[in-house]
Amino acid sequence: MDGKVIVITSGKGGVGKTTATACIGAALALENRQVAVVDMDIGLRNLDGGMGLENRIVFNVVDAAKGKCKIKQAAIKDRRIENLYLIPASQSDNKDALTPDIMVRLCKELRKEFDYVLLDCPAGIERGFENSVAPADEAVVVCTPEVSSVRDADRVIALLYARSITPRLIVNRIVPEMVENGDMLSHEDVVDVLSVELLGLVPLDNQVVISTNTGAPLVLQKDSEAGQSFRRIALRMEGQDIPIEIPQAQKSFWKKLGIIIGIGK
Amino acid sequence: MDVQLSDKSQVRLKGVRDGFWVTLDPSLPADYIQEELTRVFNQLQHLAFNSHVTLDMGGPEGRESIVEMLRAFLKSKFNVASVAVAPASPPPKEVPVNGEHGGDKSHKPDMSSVWMEHHSDALVIAGRVRSGQKITAQKHLVILGDVNPGSELIAGGDILIMGTLGGIALAGQPDNEAAIILAIGFKPIQIQIGGIIATEVPVSQRHTLEFARVDHGDIVVEDYIKTNPFGRLTWPEVR
Ligand SMILES: Nc1ncnc2c1ncn2[C@@H]1O[C@H](COP(=O)(O)OP(=O)(O)OP(=O)(O)O)[C@@H](O)[C@H]1O
Ligand SMILES: [Mg+2]
Repeated sequence: MDGKVIVITSGKGGVGKTTATACIGAALALENRQVAVVDMDIGLRNLDGGMGLENRIVFNVVDAAKGKCKIKQAAIKDRRIENLYLIPASQSDNKDALTPDIMVRLCKELRKEFDYVLLDCPAGIERGFENSVAPADEAVVVCTPEVSSVRDADRVIALLYARSITPRLIVNRIVPEMVENGDMLSHEDVVDVLSVELLGLVPLDNQVVISTNTGAPLVLQKDSEAGQSFRRIALRMEGQDIPIEIPQAQKSFWKKLGIIIGIGK
Repeated sequence: MDVQLSDKSQVRLKGVRDGFWVTLDPSLPADYIQEELTRVFNQLQHLAFNSHVTLDMGGPEGRESIVEMLRAFLKSKFNVASVAVAPASPPPKEVPVNGEHGGDKSHKPDMSSVWMEHHSDALVIAGRVRSGQKITAQKHLVILGDVNPGSELIAGGDILIMGTLGGIALAGQPDNEAAIILAIGFKPIQIQIGGIIATEVPVSQRHTLEFARVDHGDIVVEDYIKTNPFGRLTWPEVR
């Protein structure tokens, strides 16, 4: 196998890197791909807090990278989704445990066993960023429609281009009503400034938080708009030509009801 | 270059091989001569810079004091390289300023080659300038592309952006307040011209060509097409 190593990054914190990594990883696994999601931060473990994964962690990415264990030992199999594996972050706060070189070597091994290796990059552009970007073939930049997030994404895009990686963009946490009212940047505004290929648009969706708490994979929920957006993103990453869907404002319950019973026409 | 001014003028000027030949009547009042010289040299603009001027007053005898005065005046006001006095003999034939076609019958210096003697440095960059990136130019800076918020441009001279300006632009550094900043879509975070800083630049919603300049110690932003700031210049000038 000659898998792809893809870093998911953003610059700014809390914009949805971990959510995107988990969802895209799950969605690719549902397409029958062998997927490893690698926690370069401590985010994915948090995401799995509710699913009792914590007590199954024996080895982590540093152990695997340094050859203290086999990759198979560090990769924890997801309980509900076949072909999906998590390689957890190191618990120790020794920041020098990983280097770009060590990560390049680890990913060389991971490529042999997985179709996709997704690296959940920590916020910022420091060491953790360098470690995550060094082994990457491709990059996905996540940003939200906020000025500060766009600014940081722009910075990261420049750094990625400087390493000859062409990034693609996910705009997350879009609130269509706010965009309509001019209270939120539209995805066009964001793409205008960042000027990179758009991979997908993900709306703000309460199901994201619920799924984090219950551990039920978002991409398996047919009624989760965010989950479905991430599935389409995964298919685009697979090379399928699927048009970008723009999140639409939900008609309120009363309006819908009005249409059904024939008033408010 | 037809720099031979109105015949009525008592001070006449023409381009010769390595500079200008100025014919004047030394019996005229000194301040009148200065006034007339100012008028004709103003029309030459930068061409006067470093040029060799010959004053033809019908011979050098007895003109030392006025020559000294005019020499100091032309050097300080127009930065000419030298001021000599013509002998009593007739002036040389008018020739192209670049001297390549000596004896050209047209008696017109070759204006298009004159510009080759001047140069004005510009750093020309194509592409998008992103957040965190900083571009510094010794003199002028030309960006063919957009300048994103979070980026910084610094230039000794003008900054000309064929795209939107969303970052910080510092023109005329450190102290050239004659510099301008020009962009299509003027939405800078901060601009500075020479030592003057404008932090709250009114954000333009339109996609028109606008420029910032210093006016009475303040930075003003204006519509470039409407203002046409250099349209009034009587002579093309090197910046
Ligand atoms: N589309 C969405 N709709 C609603 N909530 C979201 C969405 N995307 C992310 N969130 C929430 O936003 C928060 C931050 O998301 P996440 O942890 O994925 O960001 P991150 O970029 O990994 O953050 P960090 O920089 O801290 O690692 C989480 O609580 C997550 O549930
Ligand atoms: Mg995270």
